[in-house]
Amino acid sequence: MSTAKVDPVTRAAIDWMLRLESGQACPSERQVFKAWLAENPAHLAAWQRVAGVLKTPVADLHAVERRSPGQLQAARRALLASTVTPGKKTLQGGLLLLLLGLAGAGLVDRVTPLAGLTADYQTATGERKTVELADGSLLTLNARSAVDIQFSNGQRRVRLREGELQVEVAADAKRPFVVTTAQGQVQALGTRFMVRQGSDESLASVQQHSVLLDTLGGQQRRIETGQAVSFTATQIDPQTPTSRSQTDWLQGRVELHDEPLSALVEALRPYQTGMLRISPEAARVRVFGVFALDNTAQTLNTLAQTLPIKVTRYGPWLTLIEVRR
Amino acid sequence: MDPKSLLANLYHDNHAWLRGWLSRQVRCPQDAADLAQDTFLRAWDARQLERIREPRAYLSTVARRLLCSLWRRRKLEQSYLEQLAELPPAFAPSAEDIALVREAIEAIDRVLEGLPSRVKRAFLLNRLEGMPQQAIAELLGVSLATVERDLRRAFVHCLSQTAECP
Repeated sequence: MSTAKVDPVTRAAIDWMLRLESGQACPSERQVFKAWLAENPAHLAAWQRVAGVLKTPVADLHAVERRSPGQLQAARRALLASTVTPGKKTLQGGLLLLLLGLAGAGLVDRVTPLAGLTADYQTATGERKTVELADGSLLTLNARSAVDIQFSNGQRRVRLREGELQVEVAADAKRPFVVTTAQGQVQALGTRFMVRQGSDESLASVQQHSVLLDTLGGQQRRIETGQAVSFTATQIDPQTPTSRSQTDWLQGRVELHDEPLSALVEALRPYQTGMLRISPEAARVRVFGVFALDNTAQTLNTLAQTLPIKVTRYGPWLTLIEVRR
Repeated sequence: MDPKSLLANLYHDNHAWLRGWLSRQVRCPQDAADLAQDTFLRAWDARQLERIREPRAYLSTVARRLLCSLWRRRKLEQSYLEQLAELPPAFAPSAEDIALVREAIEAIDRVLEGLPSRVKRAFLLNRLEGMPQQAIAELLGVSLATVERDLRRAFVHCLSQTAECP
């Protein structure tokens, strides 16, 4: 259908999608985009149409991918098998990863494109970032994280949309400092603390002083230095300190003492361009040691030499970890 | 004549012939029977039975289209199963998941049908696997501007189809 046509508003929404996903859009452009969305209900409707392209089948494939790694790639290859690809030979493996690293590009969650793209601050795959907020607080984002900053006269609010942050809060008795997640909010009581947004729960851990946790369902708890809890809207579960609740990622590493390999893979995931999948059996292998986050390929190769596991790369976009037999 | 009688006549006069014609194309009686049934359903859905002047020419055109789409689906399914076979057994999906993937790739294939292969490839890498534009440019050995143009074309293609059949 070479004569395909769409109306000008839809065309503008497509342009925004491509611009925002190009990785080159600056914060002021995001502001212009937000204004464009708010300007006219037709703009929002067009944006949702564009964001909704192939949404259901892609969401289905992602759901299957989570259960059985490799399916996304299998689906793409099957879809392309019927058409012959002319032109240049493609780059493979490590070289591509290297190029990607240089490009500094990040993955964007396609299922809900509205989330990461419009955030005030976000980090790409493998990127950490520290920003000084208007009140002097220092906010550090782990890789693949996104936050919105909402400061007012009465409150300093940071909305964690995805990923992980640590904050060193500057004192301001009149304006409480609060980090919100999809499950609740964590209020600083003069403090250094970390919050992570998981897929269906949040985690908070305190490095200095204490915080007050309020879940959406009305549960409340004070968390002290060295403590960590995971929480949903209705439940708070204290956690024994593990690599998950530590803040070693601030220094670009993760330390594990007798933890399952799956914990290490979780920590590496935001640093891996492409998919990183682990078989259930390999997930249970116990791990000790300190590992670098910034070079996942090397970390995985080292692991394969010391643990009974096999790391296989299926092209640049899928890495599988299995038990070695 | 009312539409139901028109369909009954059309069916009566041409069903055996259509099945015979289809049997020679697919060489599987079950497929031929299903396709013949689908062809009459399409004719009924078109609601223009009284306008059909050359029933057999009309029916074979519809049947040919259905046949193409069946072959396309089979080919897609075949290449998916080939891909599955290449993965290690530990990563084999459940039967339900395989069914879900088949449906999803059929849906995607229908929407992207008609796009050139490079455009399709760029779009799938981008939407399905979340590959950034720059990375796609490196992978396909084309400029960033080309990738952007390809993605735009694919979006326009998908959205203009949705507009046609809401």
